[in-house]
Order: sequence, then C-alpha cells, then structure tokens
Amino acid sequence: MLPYYLEICVVVLGSLMLCMELFAGRRSRAKIAMVGVAGLGVIFALLMFAVCSPGEDLQYWGIYHFDKWAAFYKGLALISTLLVLVMAREFAPVFKHYTSQDEEKSGIGEFYCLPIFVCSGLMWMASAKDLVTIFVSLELVTMGFYVLVAFMRRNVGSLEAGVKYLILGALSTGFLVYGIAWTFGVSGTFNLEELSVVLAGDDIPSAPVMFAFALLIAGIGFKIAVVPFQIWVPDVYQGAAMPVTAYLSVASKAAGFIVFLRVVDPFLAAPSIREPAIYLMVFVTCATLIYGNLAAIAQKNIKRLLAYSSIAHAGFLLMALPALGAAGTIAGPGPESAISFYLAGYLLMTLLCFLVLTVVRVATNGEDLTALEGLGKRSPFLAFAMLVGVASLAGIPLTVGFFGKFFLFNIAIQNAMQNGLWIVVFLAVLGAATGFYYYFKIIRAMYWEGSVSEGEVTGLKVGRLAMLAIILLVVAVFFFGIFPAPLLGLTL
Amino acid sequence: MIATGFAVTTLLLSVALGKSARRNKIKDSPYECGMLPIGESQPRFSVKFYLVAMLFVIFDIEVVFMYPWALTFRDFLARDQAAMVFWSMSGFVGILLVAYLYALKKGALSWES
Repeated sequence: MLPYYLEICVVVLGSLMLCMELFAGRRSRAKIAMVGVAGLGVIFALLMFAVCSPGEDLQYWGIYHFDKWAAFYKGLALISTLLVLVMAREFAPVFKHYTSQDEEKSGIGEFYCLPIFVCSGLMWMASAKDLVTIFVSLELVTMGFYVLVAFMRRNVGSLEAGVKYLILGALSTGFLVYGIAWTFGVSGTFNLEELSVVLAGDDIPSAPVMFAFALLIAGIGFKIAVVPFQIWVPDVYQGAAMPVTAYLSVASKAAGFIVFLRVVDPFLAAPSIREPAIYLMVFVTCATLIYGNLAAIAQKNIKRLLAYSSIAHAGFLLMALPALGAAGTIAGPGPESAISFYLAGYLLMTLLCFLVLTVVRVATNGEDLTALEGLGKRSPFLAFAMLVGVASLAGIPLTVGFFGKFFLFNIAIQNAMQNGLWIVVFLAVLGAATGFYYYFKIIRAMYWEGSVSEGEVTGLKVGRLAMLAIILLVVAVFFFGIFPAPLLGLTL
Repeated sequence: MIATGFAVTTLLLSVALGKSARRNKIKDSPYECGMLPIGESQPRFSVKFYLVAMLFVIFDIEVVFMYPWALTFRDFLARDQAAMVFWSMSGFVGILLVAYLYALKKGALSWES
C-alpha cells in the first residue's frame, strides 16, 4: 500500500461521516463519532502494518516524503484525532447547551467531521518537505481550526477565541508566505533538500537569508506557541471547546514541530548563518521558558493554566534545537528523537488531563481550579488519572514526562558544554522547578481542598469509551515512563 | 520632465479656466445627465447573499482548477498517464460533490426560510 493512500482514506472517512450526517436517520446519526473513531483506528492499523516499512526514505513527485519521522508524526496525528473524537462525544451535552438542543441544528455532526479533515492536513504536514506543500497543508489545518474554535456559537468566549485565532492566524500566515517568498528569492527553490545545498554555498548573502529565516520562524512559531508569538494562546485555549483546546495543544503543536524541525534544518546547516540563527533560537527559547512558566503561576482557570504550560513545554522542546546539525557530537538520542519522544509523551499526558477535565466540566459546569476541589473524594479514579497526567507534565520519575525532559536536558547540557550556552539550561531548570508549583496547585485542589458533604459523594458519570481511553492513557504514561525504549525506538 | 510638466500645466489650466459655470443642485449631483438616484448609496443586502457568495467562490475555484487540467490533459494522455490524470480530477470533483450535497441538504440554496 502506498503511503499517500492514508491521507486519501482519512478524507474519504471524513466525507463518509458528512454524508451520514446528511442522509442517515436520527438513530444512526448518533453513531457518527463512533464511525470516526473506528475508521481512524483502522487507518492507524494500516499505517502500522500495511504501509511499507519506514526504514526507507520514499518520495513522490518531489512534494510528498515518507520517512520514519513522517510515519511517527502521522501516527501521533491519528491517535490524537481519535482521542479528541472520544472527548468530543463526552463533551456533547455542554456543546449542545451552547449551540442548540436540537440534534441537527446543533451541528454536532460537523463537530465530529471537522477534526477528521484537520487530521488529513496534519498528516500531510508530516510528509511535507517542500515549502509550498508545507504552506498548503498548514492552511488546511488552520482553516479547520478557525471553524472548530468558534463552533460554540452561543458562547461569547468561543466567539471571541474564534475572532482572535482568525486574525492572528491570518497574520502569521502572512509572515510565513513572506518568509517563503524571501527564501525562494534567495535560493530559487522551494524544496528543502535543494535549499540546504544552495544555502551551504559560499556566495549566499547572509542578511536576506537571516530575514527569511526570521520570517519563517515567526510564521511557524505561531503554530507551536513560542514567545513572542504566543499572545493568542491563553485566550483561544480558554474560549474554545474542551476537545478543541486539547486538539490545538497536542496535534497542532506536534505537526508544527515536525515542520519546524524540517524548515530550521537547512538554515542551521548553512555555515554562513549558523551562528546568528542559533542566537535567534536561543533568544526565543529563553523567552518562552521564562514567560510560559512564570505566567502559569497566577492562573486560576485550568484551561488557561494548561495553555501557559503548553507554552512552557514548547520552550523545553526548543532547548534541543541548537544541537541540530551537530548530532554526531552528542551522546544519547539526538535532538530530533528527543523532541519526537517528548511530543509523543506530551500527547499522552495532555490528552489524559483534558479527558478528565472534560468529564468534570460536563458534571460541574466549571473550568476553574475550584471545579476540581474534592475530586479525590467524588471520584477517586478520575482524580488518580488527573494526578498521573499532571505529575507527568511536571516530569516526575516513573512517568513518560520524566524521560521526555531527561533526554532534552541531556542534549541541552551537552550542547552547553560545547558552546557555553548555559543560560538555556539554567532557565529550563528554573522553569521545571516552577512547573512543580503550578502543577501541584491542581493536585492540591483535588485532594486537600473543598469539603464534600456525604450526599454529594457520587461518582461522576463517565462514558464507557472515555473510561477505556483514560485507563489506556494512564497505563501508557506509566509504561513509557518505566520502559521508554519501545517509543524511543520508533524515533531513532 | 515633459510628462510632469504636462500634468502640472493641465491642472493649473483647469483651475484657471474651469469653475466658471454657475453651480446649482443638478450640476453637483453625481450623475448630471442620467437617472435620478433613488434611495441610499449604500443599500443593505440580505445576509443570505453571503452564502451564495461563498458557494460561488467554491465552484469558481473548481472551474479555475479544471481549466489548466483540461489544457494539459492531452499531454498526460500522450505520456500514458491517463488513469492518474482522470482520478486526480475525479477525486477533486468528488470532494466538491460531497460539499455540494451538503449545501443542498442543509438548505443553503433555498432562499426562503
């Protein structure tokens, strides 16, 4: 089976679900989400077993590449979309509250279909090694998110988030296109492999190349939420529906990072601009680490807190980037592997947190830290799942978050020993320590705060599928936290 | 030099020679010798038009894409790639067909309601 059939399958699945929403009767319409989950599961199985082994580096028409990174990030996109659909199904009551109680007018069917189309865009991004393909697939993803973010049309917060995301997203797209234009103007090619050859030459003027690089960083930096392009993150995360927030913070970030890695690579490999490019990256990294961690401390809304934590995690991920292109000199997994491993772990723990939060949101109608108070008594199972997710986000040993941070710090420290960029390591240690404080605020709220009277002690209602997903995620967080090798092996 | 000079000269001449006619209400109207303008200059359109405009853009793009496809069709046939070129367009039209059915079924094309 050819690898690009996967994207075709995803698009066909989305169209099928849309047709179900149109023509099927009331009863089978309720199964749209299930069809999506099952279809994505089948496509994931196809990716694992039917598609040619990722050892070889395939390319089609020069615009579509299939290598181990592409396979890995396609897998991440599929799994996160699948879990987001499970989450959206749990979230349906709140969603209908803000749109319409009527099944058809609420647009819940479309709410299940859109992530599928976004998923196809994410999978294209994983395979894009050409600036035009990158741009088109990035737009496919962003367009889907414009609609998804603003989908709860009777909720002011959601509409506000939609407008902010639309305007800032369009602006960042402008930067990206301008950067692509400058890159093409300097090098005469859109293909990243040819670009690295051209940039490695001696007669390349460094000023326009740096300008193009900065513009590209601004454009993609918006998607992966690094400072100073993070201004939209807290508001959009807070306003959007819970599953959409989770999808934004996981899938959009993961696909953004693979594109980021691929775009940055030729620039860092060019000897004439390697030095200034690294200083630019270090500046962005330091700013992201400081801002994300410090701003998270004061947050009372959980989604806002997780938004700032998502910025902070982007900072940790960026830490490994200056080592790009110097992979031979570093012991342990290289920067690409460490970043991919971290993103996979980030997917597991973040989606775990958001699944629990979705259940709590439906039951208590609150998104503040106070909504979690007493969760340890109301539902020990959910509280434990949340505890695992949050502990993993903080990076406590025995969870996957620990090994993610471990590999990144390993690279950052070895890198600092070579070129003396200790400031990054220093800020990252500080940031990780700060992380313990604000993540433990969540744990404190669950176990030590709020009194629950006897009558209230009733378990929260969890759907069967969501329950299964939560259990699997908890197991995965522990499993990869104790045996990281299977997951790391996929990225090496 | 000549171009600038000409522009400046004509502007100055029109100031010097023009505006000699008497001004009145009819002279100052936007269209001196046409229909009398009725109503506001910026009438309000029904919001329904935006749906029509959106659908128009979608199917407009379809034709824009089909045109170069039809132009290069023979080249692909000559290179024995008939199946590829046929299925690529079928896929595109298929996706648009689903979109069209969606718009139709959701009542985007019915003016009433």
